[in-house]
Amino acid sequence: MSLAIEAEGLGRDYGDVRALDALDLAVARGEMVGLLGPNGAGKTTAMLLLATLLSPTRGRARVFGHDVVGERAAVRRRLGLLFQETSVDGLLTAEENLLFAARLAGLDGRLARAAVADAIGRTGLAERARRPARELSGGWRRLLDIARATLHHPDLLILDEPTVGLDPEHREAMWSLLDAHRREGTTVVFSTHYLGEAETADRVVLLAHGAVVAEDTPGTLRAELGDGIAEIEGPGAERLARALRGLGSARVVFRTGRGYRVGIAGEREPVIELAGKAPGIERFGLRPTSLEDVYFARTQDAGEAAAR
Amino acid sequence: MSGWSAVHGIVVRDLTRSTRQTSRLVGGIARPFMWLLLVGTGFNAITRLESGIPYHAYVFPGIVMMAALFGGALTAVSTVYDREFGMLRLMLASPAGIPAVLAGRALAATLVGMLQGGIVLAVAPLVLVLAPSRWPGAVAALAAVTAMSALFGLLIAARLRSVENFAGIINVVLFPLLFLSGALYPTAGLPPALLLLARANPVTYAVDLLRHALGQPAERAMSVDLIVVIGSTVLAFLVTALLFDPEQRLAGGGGRGTTPAAVPHRGSRP
Repeated sequence: MSLAIEAEGLGRDYGDVRALDALDLAVARGEMVGLLGPNGAGKTTAMLLLATLLSPTRGRARVFGHDVVGERAAVRRRLGLLFQETSVDGLLTAEENLLFAARLAGLDGRLARAAVADAIGRTGLAERARRPARELSGGWRRLLDIARATLHHPDLLILDEPTVGLDPEHREAMWSLLDAHRREGTTVVFSTHYLGEAETADRVVLLAHGAVVAEDTPGTLRAELGDGIAEIEGPGAERLARALRGLGSARVVFRTGRGYRVGIAGEREPVIELAGKAPGIERFGLRPTSLEDVYFARTQDAGEAAAR
Repeated sequence: MSGWSAVHGIVVRDLTRSTRQTSRLVGGIARPFMWLLLVGTGFNAITRLESGIPYHAYVFPGIVMMAALFGGALTAVSTVYDREFGMLRLMLASPAGIPAVLAGRALAATLVGMLQGGIVLAVAPLVLVLAPSRWPGAVAALAAVTAMSALFGLLIAARLRSVENFAGIINVVLFPLLFLSGALYPTAGLPPALLLLARANPVTYAVDLLRHALGQPAERAMSVDLIVVIGSTVLAFLVTALLFDPEQRLAGGGGRGTTPAAVPHRGSRP
């Protein structure tokens, strides 16, 4: 069985700017993959390339075996796409927006109306279906947008920051809807800056400076940094971080805006003891490793490598 | 069949939008009537045409052309707004592809232009003598010139990144096309340079076609007018398809989102 996505050396330049260097990516059918990375890392470019909306400068990619350049229509028939900015026509009602999307997806007549009714039911939009979209709140407009992207039951969903700007209730509703599609076997590739959302992905791909800097399951990526993270703030933070590295317990040290974080492996008592004696420490804490730590550690490595 | 359903979807959407933008729709209908009443009546009192027909009857095909041109072209130019506000990329991401998107937009703009031009055409019996047998031809001519206008609008929109307002398009493109077409006055008396421009202007032939259809003296054979109008429409479609850059507004698409933030986890999900 072919993969949902196969990309080899996929890259795109905008003039002199290399937005995406060379993406190698293989996504299995039914898999959920989170693309993480700072602004300008190449996430949106990668998604637009896979969605056939941009042409690659180099490399190639196939979606369900179809080439993203030579077989655009075939790729698009399998695809549901959610852009970073909501794509909803404010002059149309929610229902009319969905009917428009259904027709664009190739559905018409009874099929289109049935798909729209189903999408409205799944998203809980029934009470708002006849209201002009411009009168909906931002959260409902985004849910309408995801209803639009999924109403034709695509095999692959590409979602660019699906929950940006949503309150927790709408975010939960959004993921609940996506989970239902995932259970039906839909492959999902999404980007997010809310790193907690990526924890439930099957796999995380971390991009920085247009290249993949880390790729694995969230658990493996976290484990690579250690069993836990020591957060250190204050004028003495750098000195303590160096001392912890010398102690042998520190697997990785990286900076954040407020201080240092140290990935700890093994015994914690020596670490706590050393921190207790260190001067100039305003805050010290030990906690489990998160994807946010992975994000900072790996993108910092890539940034320093790029600077060199 | 995805192409047909996409065209259907685009046409229904554009017509729905047009009916809900009442001020624009009313403005589009009011403009030609203002010209007919204010300019037509004024010039009627001071103008003697060689053909001997009253000025307001002479200008009537030009006024129908104005309604069709502005209605069709401006509706099509609104593609730029769709590009700015993200709706165009939805259409471009559909399996139907660019030709279906352009065909849908063109058809919708033609229908809007025909609605506006048709309302003007409907008052023809008040201005000139129009035999019932001429109505089908008049409606067909209106459809042809409106389709051409719609394609001109799409051509204008093909490379425009944004439109601050439509006034620039109206003043710089549409009015010159209309004024140099013989819609409001005979072009025969124009200086040679302007006469040359008038002859190169496809709208000149569209107005002439409407004069044929409305039983007025025309400058050229109807076959010439038809060839130029249909040829210009097809040519505009092909050039638009070539110039249309689906990557506009997508290029340089680095994210605009926030920097990573420690936000609450999604929690346990089923």
